[in-house]
Amino acid sequence: MKTFIADFHVHTLLSPCAEVEMTPHHIVMRAAQYGISILAITDHNSSANVPAALEAGRKYGLKVLPGMEVECAEEAHLVVIFATWEQLLNWQKIIDNSRIGLPPNNAEKFGKQFVVDADDNFLYEEKKLLLGSCSLKAEDVIKQSKEMGALVFAAHIDRPSYSLLGQLGFIGDDLPLDAVEISRLAIEELKEKKLKPLVNNRPYMTNSDGHTIADFLQGPKNFLELKEPSLEEIKLALAGKTERKFKPGYFIKYDC
Amino acid sequence: MKVSQIVKKLQLTKVTRREDLEREVTGGYTSDLLSNVMGQAKTGMIWVTMQGHHNIAAIGSLIGLAAIIVAGGTKIEEDTIIKADENELPIFTTDMSSYEVTGKLYALDITNKQ
Repeated sequence: MKTFIADFHVHTLLSPCAEVEMTPHHIVMRAAQYGISILAITDHNSSANVPAALEAGRKYGLKVLPGMEVECAEEAHLVVIFATWEQLLNWQKIIDNSRIGLPPNNAEKFGKQFVVDADDNFLYEEKKLLLGSCSLKAEDVIKQSKEMGALVFAAHIDRPSYSLLGQLGFIGDDLPLDAVEISRLAIEELKEKKLKPLVNNRPYMTNSDGHTIADFLQGPKNFLELKEPSLEEIKLALAGKTERKFKPGYFIKYDC
Repeated sequence: MKVSQIVKKLQLTKVTRREDLEREVTGGYTSDLLSNVMGQAKTGMIWVTMQGHHNIAAIGSLIGLAAIIVAGGTKIEEDTIIKADENELPIFTTDMSSYEVTGKLYALDITNKQ
């Protein structure tokens, strides 16, 4: 078994709410510097900056996983992570088809949406609105993405907005989620177990949900023991399969 | 006021098949955040929401609501109806917005003041 520090929820400057410093190259470089060895890039409803992150990941020798933070019809955020860029590209088509008829992005109100390459060069500005929900229900997002091989978790379920738990009151066993993500504030709940019954005893994970480099480095990570840094191994670790470990609530040493 | 009287006055469409329309409505609540409804709505209330997810039936019966009105033309899933029927909880739909429905309920003197 090998050990890994993993963050499965990081935004790039493509997300309108993320800072321009969040280029894929910068995120990957900082991750490598601080020993983060598995990283999922998860912009809102879009995958356009994932190729640059994958390229940067190869350069810096860390595992970058292609992902997306999807807003379902219930206005809750679900993170889907795939093993390959091709899988995510197919998923992107489904999301694009379920987000037809939305107005263009208002960069002044929501923020600019930049697509860049692996060397921080500007490629184009995404004009489509990336915020807002798609027409797929939570159940459809989870089931359809899983059929395509995804690992799916409900994002920041303890937060007041865009939380699947907040929107639905409880998360029943009809939703085949691999995990639920809790924020730094709810880590105490790991001990108190108040959340557990509401989420049907699903495994927890803790990610930075970084929108700035400081958020990203200071935010919680997960400590994993896997045979190799693959999506399949991560799924097995989450499911509690023997030998592998998945420990949420891990922080790296970082002084700003 | 009884559920059946509200249905008539607001011309709501009934989607459930096994329900009790003779219950007295003691108040109302409007919210789409189900965790909030779980904490705030009280037994006997009528709930206005735009969520059609089947959790509304579970939460409605857990609290003992008199009825649920799904507003804004939201489509109701079949599993939501099945769950509501199991608990004899009436669910209605309307094309009116949550705002209009709530205003009309208030005009019928369902004001949470009693």
